[in-house]
Amino acid sequence: MNSPRGADLVIPALALGFALYFFFSIADLAWEAKANGVLIGGVLVVLIGIQLIRTAVELARGKASFSLKPLWEPREAFVRRVGLVAVTIAFIGTLGWLGLTLGLLLALFAALWIMGARGKALAIIPLAVAAAAYLLFVALLQSDIPHGPIERLLS
Amino acid sequence: MSWDFLLAQFGAQFGLWWVIWPAILLGIVVGVLPGFSPQNTLIMLLPLTLAVPVEQAMAFMIALYCANHLAGGIPAILVKIPGSGGAAATTLDGYPMTQKGQAQQALVLCFTASVFGGLITTVATLALLPWLSQIGLHLRSVEMVVVMLFGLTLIAVIAAKDTLKALIAGFFGLLIGVIGTDHIYNTPRATFGFLELYDGVPLVPALIGLFAISEALVMIEEKMIVGQSGRERALQARWADTVEGLRLSVRKWWHIVWTSFVGLFIGIVPGAGASIAAFVAYQQSRLWSKHPELYGTGIPEGVIAPEAANNGVTSGTLVPTLALGVPGGSTAAVMMIVLQYHGMVMGPRLFATNPEVAYGVFVSMAVAYIFMIFTILPLARYMSRVVLIETTYLAPVIILVTIVAAFGERQYLFDMVLALVFGVIGYIAHKTSYHVTAILIGILLGPLFEQYLVRALRISQGDITVLFSSTLGNVLWGFLVLSLAAPFLKSYFSRSSRPQP
Repeated sequence: MNSPRGADLVIPALALGFALYFFFSIADLAWEAKANGVLIGGVLVVLIGIQLIRTAVELARGKASFSLKPLWEPREAFVRRVGLVAVTIAFIGTLGWLGLTLGLLLALFAALWIMGARGKALAIIPLAVAAAAYLLFVALLQSDIPHGPIERLLS
Repeated sequence: MSWDFLLAQFGAQFGLWWVIWPAILLGIVVGVLPGFSPQNTLIMLLPLTLAVPVEQAMAFMIALYCANHLAGGIPAILVKIPGSGGAAATTLDGYPMTQKGQAQQALVLCFTASVFGGLITTVATLALLPWLSQIGLHLRSVEMVVVMLFGLTLIAVIAAKDTLKALIAGFFGLLIGVIGTDHIYNTPRATFGFLELYDGVPLVPALIGLFAISEALVMIEEKMIVGQSGRERALQARWADTVEGLRLSVRKWWHIVWTSFVGLFIGIVPGAGASIAAFVAYQQSRLWSKHPELYGTGIPEGVIAPEAANNGVTSGTLVPTLALGVPGGSTAAVMMIVLQYHGMVMGPRLFATNPEVAYGVFVSMAVAYIFMIFTILPLARYMSRVVLIETTYLAPVIILVTIVAAFGERQYLFDMVLALVFGVIGYIAHKTSYHVTAILIGILLGPLFEQYLVRALRISQGDITVLFSSTLGNVLWGFLVLSLAAPFLKSYFSRSSRPQP
């Protein structure tokens, strides 16, 4: 069976893209500002080149494929994973309006539901975590995390 | 400094138990949460520490600081989420021990290595303070370049399994570490136009993303984070497991001693910190081990080395603060503010004018460590039960709580987004066997390496031979070469000493 090497190239592709952007961003700077970046980025590009050659050789020999399978298998977990990331993005995006306590409560409820939790746990865990977060981040440490309706009500 | 004076100091510090105990508990809570550094907590509590007498303020700050260093290892062992950068190396063997159902033993090893490592180096600091304070003066940018290289060679150690992938991960991390303004002209580099990246990539979001979020995204593939056999072992967790952890600690006492001294010496250098100390200690521990191939599979030495070193740092970091007036780290800087507010003048004279404060700080540290072991050791059994929580509940809580914690250090919403981005990168790295620790070492040590390298090159006007211009630096180069050559020499000698057939 061919080993799926496409997934192995995602990190090198990200690294290569970043290295090229890095070189572009330091092109006009003094040597002190770019010496380290050029050295590290140069070695990184060479290493990625070796990885690409290694993969190309395996592909040419028919030992590997461009499949990205390892990244989304098992499929069932992948769907939940995408759901968790989506909930996290929504949580960060709405934090300014909902505030920490309400935002965390709703996000945890959604995330646990996506994960398949049902019954009492679906209510108790979000409530307990949101209350603990309020006590620690807002009441005790008084951090600058956005305040929402609950924080305003309790202040 | 007489014995009577020391005994009186110990007596006075034990009398402050009502200050030390709450500080230990707060330090543990804050230390377990990634994103809450001791310096941020101390800054928030500054009104309190400025209002009370200096002895009580110092006892509180010291106990919180030491407990914080210890507690970072707890989530690192249980769920592979280091509470601080100094505990990142603890995940390498701590988490595999948990997966084998040895969470309780790993926690006990973490606690004893932290406490005794901290205690031994504190006593050593008290005894050798005049000499230790001189070390910081001899370690300049040239020598620090070599110290950084000691830490960076851990990437090569990780590379043992898949050299190319580990090196790509390490250099990717190093390049990410160069993001931000340069140290000479303050010109931005690769910041994607974000002002939030001008100070470089913040460590906490990177740590949370690469370890906590990525691990949570991976763990949902299994019902629990421990396998079937580990689950049965964790279910039967008894006090005997705590005793076994203690027995392992006693058997490895020498390991605790020497790795804590690695932390002490690195802690003395202003700017260097617990993360570097932990990585260097882990790398050295593996290097001189008789069974280096077992590192990363969940062995006691792999937990002891980083934990003893990151607590060895606690006394080291106070040496330049008190003896020279140069804060050894950001937490030490906060302590210095409090001391100066109370009219103390930092520097060698402090030991003559206010010996009860200067030496009292270290006595206070020793007392805090003694209190700490009795507070935390009995909790290992109960803490280890965390691994029995199903990932259905654990993963969402980890992701959302750590995302909130990412906000803690700099108070930017941007850092929460950054943590998620690093989480996705970490997830891809996990699934394709690119070691996230190699990426983190790069992000962590990259900026420091650049800072010292550019400073050294600037002094020499670009002449690279400056790196070999000092005696101490050359001695360190020698040790570095010896460290790198040691595995080859060891295998050569073991082959030549083997009887020929």
